[in-house]
Amino acid sequence: MTAVDAPSAGGGGPGVPDPHDAADRALLAALAAVIDDDHIVPLAARAWRVEPGAAGEVAEVVRLANEHRAALLPVGAGTRAPRLKGTGERARLHLALTRLDQVVHLDETSLLCHVQAGLTGSGLERVLTPRGLSLGDYPPSILGSTIGGLIAVRTPGKSSARHGFLEDAVVGVSAVLADGRTIHTRIAPRRATGPDLARALCGSEGTLGVITGAVLRVHQRPDSRLLAAFVLPSMDAALAAVYLALREEATPAGLRLLDAEDARSWYGDGVLAPGEALMVAATAGATDLAACDRDLIASAVAAEGGRAADVALAEQWWKRRHSSESWPGPPPTFQVTATPGRLRGAYHAVCGAARNAGGFPRGHISRFDADGAVVFVAFCDGDGAPLTGAAAERVRDAAIAAARAAGGWLPGARALALDPYLIALRAQLDPHGIMNPGALVA
Amino acid sequence: MAIDPDRLRRELEAVVGPRRVSMRAADLDTYAQDMWPRLLFARRDGAPPSPRGHAVVWPETVREVAAVVKAARGLGVPIIPYGGGSGVCGGVVPVHGGVTLDLKRMTALRAVRADELICDVEGGLSGERFERELARRGFTFGHFPSSIYCSTVGGWLATRAAGQLSTKYGKVEDRVAGLTVVTGTGEVIDTDGPARALGGPNWTQLLLGSEGTLGIITSARLRLSPAPQLKLYRGFEVDSVAAGTEAIRRILQRGLRPAVVRLYDELDTFVNSLGGGHAEHDDAAGPHRAPAPEPGTGALPHLPSAPRPDTGDGAVARFLALGKRKVAGLRRELTSAALARPRLVNGVIGAIAEKVARKGCRMVIGLEGARIRTEIEAALVYAELERAGARDMGEEPGRAWLAHRYAVSYRMSPVFRSGAFVDTMEVAASWAQLLDLYHSVREAIGRHAVVMAHFSHAYPDGCSIYFTFIGQADDRAGSERLYDAIWRDGLEAASRVGGTISHHHGVGLLKGPHMRSEHREAFAILAGLKRALDPDDLMNPGKLGLAAPRWTGARP
Repeated sequence: MTAVDAPSAGGGGPGVPDPHDAADRALLAALAAVIDDDHIVPLAARAWRVEPGAAGEVAEVVRLANEHRAALLPVGAGTRAPRLKGTGERARLHLALTRLDQVVHLDETSLLCHVQAGLTGSGLERVLTPRGLSLGDYPPSILGSTIGGLIAVRTPGKSSARHGFLEDAVVGVSAVLADGRTIHTRIAPRRATGPDLARALCGSEGTLGVITGAVLRVHQRPDSRLLAAFVLPSMDAALAAVYLALREEATPAGLRLLDAEDARSWYGDGVLAPGEALMVAATAGATDLAACDRDLIASAVAAEGGRAADVALAEQWWKRRHSSESWPGPPPTFQVTATPGRLRGAYHAVCGAARNAGGFPRGHISRFDADGAVVFVAFCDGDGAPLTGAAAERVRDAAIAAARAAGGWLPGARALALDPYLIALRAQLDPHGIMNPGALVA
Repeated sequence: MAIDPDRLRRELEAVVGPRRVSMRAADLDTYAQDMWPRLLFARRDGAPPSPRGHAVVWPETVREVAAVVKAARGLGVPIIPYGGGSGVCGGVVPVHGGVTLDLKRMTALRAVRADELICDVEGGLSGERFERELARRGFTFGHFPSSIYCSTVGGWLATRAAGQLSTKYGKVEDRVAGLTVVTGTGEVIDTDGPARALGGPNWTQLLLGSEGTLGIITSARLRLSPAPQLKLYRGFEVDSVAAGTEAIRRILQRGLRPAVVRLYDELDTFVNSLGGGHAEHDDAAGPHRAPAPEPGTGALPHLPSAPRPDTGDGAVARFLALGKRKVAGLRRELTSAALARPRLVNGVIGAIAEKVARKGCRMVIGLEGARIRTEIEAALVYAELERAGARDMGEEPGRAWLAHRYAVSYRMSPVFRSGAFVDTMEVAASWAQLLDLYHSVREAIGRHAVVMAHFSHAYPDGCSIYFTFIGQADDRAGSERLYDAIWRDGLEAASRVGGTISHHHGVGLLKGPHMRSEHREAFAILAGLKRALDPDDLMNPGKLGLAAPRWTGARP
């Protein structure tokens, strides 16, 4: 059975005429003229997964969706579940760009890589690695997502001290606007030709355009990578050491601070005394610079009363970070981003609130960049097992309130005061409201 | 719609009081222009600026700015923000009249947070006072444009400006944590918050560079760096532009971040070697220079005195800072008559430059920052330069550049008085297109004017090129025609090879006609932003290539 034969798969039911039947049939017939039937897959009532095979086909699908007022819901590699609510009476097209998975051009002179949006980060790394290049020091855990998804959806983890926030790597994007127009922002290292229009699409979750490709800055693989581990008297001292080193312009490739509870669940007893903190760090680049950065961090640690620890702790961290092997103990279920001056407060507020609510928190701080860092916390019971049910809810609610009060940013946060302008911009670019309706602002 | 000047005055005075509103002709003339060279042709002829605005207002608070915008909006009158007036693209020209808001009374540096390395500063603060105040507290913003004495923080942000040390500290848009903006509807918005933790488009990046067309930037949270503990500036020479750009590319792509990377092409090197920027003596242009930084404080020097009046053909040579003892033949070539035949002069100068300055192209490489890391980076940078065959000229060229780095703009006036004109075109491209860009734009400008170039503001993925050109025509109309032809051909050449039409001077009126070819279909996003933030199309109309409203207001 082809998609065209089943325009309202799962909908209506035998004998019940679907009022949308004729409209859906027309939409599907039009889509089938653009894309093979194999790539139009019924998902649910009035919902289809559409898999165009080229940027031109994406433009045509968007144009048809606009013409038929169907909702377009972009899906990436599927690392997030597709949202099925919030599209009202519209037919829904889940637009998957997974077939657009090519490296279009690799400019090894400028270290720029033009990729299609459906290529995954790890797919890109497979092309770059043999050429001595890399996307950058981003946590390998994000690389399973598609490039389009990484750019369109914000999460605070896409950042590193050495290479900044992932969006800073975006030199230009190709995208399809709601009316089916394809745009390619101009490629230049920097410009002064009005606002950075590519940044309108980054983080826009498909509401302003469907990103079909991007030109990304890539980096040479470092000559050396050095690892180090340190024990500090407290998380406060560890944070102070980090910022001391960053002020001296150390730019680590990876950096993580673990509190005593977190370190125990990862490395067992005996690594830290209660209240102490563990710092694991990776530095990379030209060998002299990597060594310089490692030494700057070591000096900062010493200045804050810390000492070197067994480098095997850092090696274990780095190995696990780059493999699919999971960490021992429950994974963190809570994260809050805070600026450098508020990190300490955010960490203590969240952990304190969790304890007061009867939980046993353990946490680490990582993803340092100019904006600050991210505090990750797992809420456990007295035996180190993850909290569940009402107890978990209670602890989580307390942590959320504490994080907000401490000036941290929780996932999904948005500058609400700017919503009217986003709504107005969407109305300009997408007058029929087909682009991921319900996302960002209703 | 006609403007009722009495009503406009009443409404503006209701916001800021009578002392901070002016409708006097002298003020309207002053605020009708910036340093766009094309406007100077009329000024040189003694013609009054046209068009002019209807009023100038000096607000002191963000509330007053918002109230002025609302009042002007109520009357349907355009609103044009004004900073230091140092723009070179006509970005402040009130093409349809209106109210000019001079923000220079909003100068508070409200918070300097050492823990966050962020400050909160108002848009009207002058660059020089900003850096001086930060230096006193042990920080730097790292933004040192040659206009630093006559430009404001808000102007930098509105145009995506670049400072001379941008290779380390970034362009201004790389250093912004949040903006406070009065939109076209008179509302005040803040864009703060770490972009990576927030959903939705990055509004900071959508408002930076909007040149007053989307709103007025009244204050900003800017990232600071600790004041540098060490400064290492040296001169080098390479055989050719190609060898120099290749060395710079390798340095940047190894992850090294010198603060200053400047590579002068053969002509620029030659002119400079005669005293235009790094020579040991400069008898011709000496009095016109900005003074060197004060050694004790590390801060900026005080304002230079006004240049002396100058006349005659010698002014062109004077801009090029040709000393008395230097190459009389070349000096003769650079007379007004010769400027009428730029291709010949470009060729002649090229030949002389090659003969006299056989050494190749001059580079200035500066590193600064934290002591230990800067020393190690410097060693790695110098090693890359050596590998590229660059010859170390020692510290003197670096010191001389540092000392005179704000001088060049002050040397332009004598050229204009002499009847010629000088302007600069700053374009940029990825490394793979860079030499194409250099040759294409140089050839395009060289059809009309004497042209030289240097490469500065380098990035791992590309670099900008700064062309300086000097032209001359018989009269004002001829000068304008020639000037327009240079820009049209130069920017078309840049677009054709995949470069951008502006790296850091902005768009204003000058590059507006080229914005569609710059952005192509993506211009739709800019048009959408315009309607979303300025639904009445009153914010600095006619700039950034955005269509101007039908305006029939009476000229005052």
